[in-house]
Amino acid sequence: MKIQKLFQKTLFGVFSLFGLISLSTSVLCIYTVDTHLSEEYESNSKDIAKTIADSSVDILLNRDLSALQSLIDQFVEIQSIRYIYITDEEGEFVAHTFVPGVPEEIRTGDRNNTVTVERSLPGMGDFVEVGSPILAGVAGTVHVGMDTDLIALKIQRAIGRQVYLISIILVVGVLAAIWFVNLAAKPLGDLLAYAVALARGPDNGADDTLLARDDEVGQLARLFLYFSEGVQAEGEQRVSSGNDG
Amino acid sequence: MRTITRRALLRSGLAWCAATPWLKPLRADADTDAGQPAPQMAPGVTDTEIVLGMSAAFSGPSRGLGIELYRGATAYFDHVNEQGGIAGRNVILKTYDDGYQPAPSVRNTLKLMLQDQVFLLFGYVGTPTVTRVLPMLKKFQDRNFFLFFPFTGAQPQREPPYGDFAFNLRSSYRQETAGLVDNFVRINRKRIAVFYQADAYGRSGWAGVRRALKHYGRQIAGEATYRRGTKFTASMRRQVEILKASQPEAVICIGSYAACAAFVRDAVNLGLQVPIANLSFVGSENLLKLLTHWALTEERGNSEQYTRFLVNSQVVPSYEEASMPAIQEYRDLMRRYNPQPPIELLKEPYLPSEHSFVSLEGFIDAKLMVEILRRLGDRPERSQLQQAVFTVQDFDLGIDERASFGPDRRQGLQQVYYTVVDEGRFVLLDNWEDRFA
Repeated sequence: MKIQKLFQKTLFGVFSLFGLISLSTSVLCIYTVDTHLSEEYESNSKDIAKTIADSSVDILLNRDLSALQSLIDQFVEIQSIRYIYITDEEGEFVAHTFVPGVPEEIRTGDRNNTVTVERSLPGMGDFVEVGSPILAGVAGTVHVGMDTDLIALKIQRAIGRQVYLISIILVVGVLAAIWFVNLAAKPLGDLLAYAVALARGPDNGADDTLLARDDEVGQLARLFLYFSEGVQAEGEQRVSSGNDG
Repeated sequence: MRTITRRALLRSGLAWCAATPWLKPLRADADTDAGQPAPQMAPGVTDTEIVLGMSAAFSGPSRGLGIELYRGATAYFDHVNEQGGIAGRNVILKTYDDGYQPAPSVRNTLKLMLQDQVFLLFGYVGTPTVTRVLPMLKKFQDRNFFLFFPFTGAQPQREPPYGDFAFNLRSSYRQETAGLVDNFVRINRKRIAVFYQADAYGRSGWAGVRRALKHYGRQIAGEATYRRGTKFTASMRRQVEILKASQPEAVICIGSYAACAAFVRDAVNLGLQVPIANLSFVGSENLLKLLTHWALTEERGNSEQYTRFLVNSQVVPSYEEASMPAIQEYRDLMRRYNPQPPIELLKEPYLPSEHSFVSLEGFIDAKLMVEILRRLGDRPERSQLQQAVFTVQDFDLGIDERASFGPDRRQGLQQVYYTVVDEGRFVLLDNWEDRFA
């Protein structure tokens, strides 16, 4: 009964410890990945917007808009960049990557604003949009939309990998705990059975192999045997004294 | 004294024979035994062949464009080769499939330029593909690579910084869209919307429409896009709804046949009853085939309801105009050779059109290409190509317009034709008012 309780307490301890580790590392992981990825994507998007803005000047002033479209089509192939649009100095969309058309929210919004904004576009998802002026804004602006769902997906993947690792460690820990508890409990059980057998008296079928052990269990077994033999001798002495009397 | 045995002589002779082929390239610049310079051919040219490189769509929803262009060009090249070739050399068209996608077209071009070492590039299909290839021509300008007669009317290969590396025969999208807008405005259809492919091709046409409307102090009434590679089975309902909301009096489509046919189908089904124009790139016969087949299989009755509002601009005359010598020749040679697409590039079955505007364009491209190669003489050199092209002045191709080139004129033809569907085939539109007013 006591061993069972010890076993339960050990398992509870193992689960509690791993739960605490999982929770704390997951929270830390979410925070770290979210912060770092968001910062990194935003920074990359700003760089891309600036690169397009710098490259667009010559195209806007001297070349056909198909060259500009070709340029943004190459950038939108980059993972996490979901849309790009370029407006001229009058706010007209001169190149974009939207299908089937420019979303209402963007069409009616401030097209010359280059401040980073968060957008939720129906049917498309959630985005962080960064902007960059072309020729200090007198030739238009470039806007790059970064998919925040992708960041969420990356966080999920990172946490998933962590949970997977911790689960494996948990299973191994529990199996190890069970093995160790069993290892400790088995000699105690043998000792108990030996003591019970001794108590039943001579020719009781007690397992004498315990007496050969040189650990605490062996010492206790020998002690039980010693007491058992003492009690038995004392009993025989009392019987013979009674017969004599 | 050492004696020379017959066996030693034989061994030396064999060794010399074995070494000779390896020595040949090293001796290329050396004088021959006769004291004459050894002939050194330009890359892509041998005693028997001139190899041209072509990357085009032979697979995917736009495969009809690459295949028909190839068929038309091959009909003429086969004819020339049968007649003895150019200075005894057969014209060979080395082809690769890019599926109308930019990345494969860049890879194919690299292969054609560096590995296959073709003499020149010919008959590329599409704006998004060609615009990515142009910088490579500039990169390898020291090797004098030129792109001849791409199947696109976009501006990048017509103007700096890449205009010097390409020669165009067909009219530009700018000319096609300007013509369409002029005619629509003339018949009082001034609210013009644009349905276009979301890439460089679509943008090129969109810019052409915008530019033409600006001339009349107007703007594009509405616009909707689709992704390149969209199939006929896709729904265009959303695009039609967007355009319908702008209440257009005409729609100009800048796309390829599968997506444009899907748009026309849904537009008619949703009650958008206005003229719908398509540019030459669309592939008119394939568009018509899809609409006709759909109308028949869906038991929608006569396909006429889907085609009566169509007006397609073309950059070559109608293949029905057999009075023109080139058209008659095209029809004869297409019948005689019936060229098939390269079997190794075909990933899905394709039923070729007997005649089409695209194959006719390929045929006329090949006709002028052969003329230019002939003007290079017996020893064609890449470095002489540009000069040879500039000698083409008022050249009679056998159609109703003569081709001319020059340092400031890198597009041979300027004419745009307008066609409508009549009795299941495209015919020239002679009266816009009667048809659409």
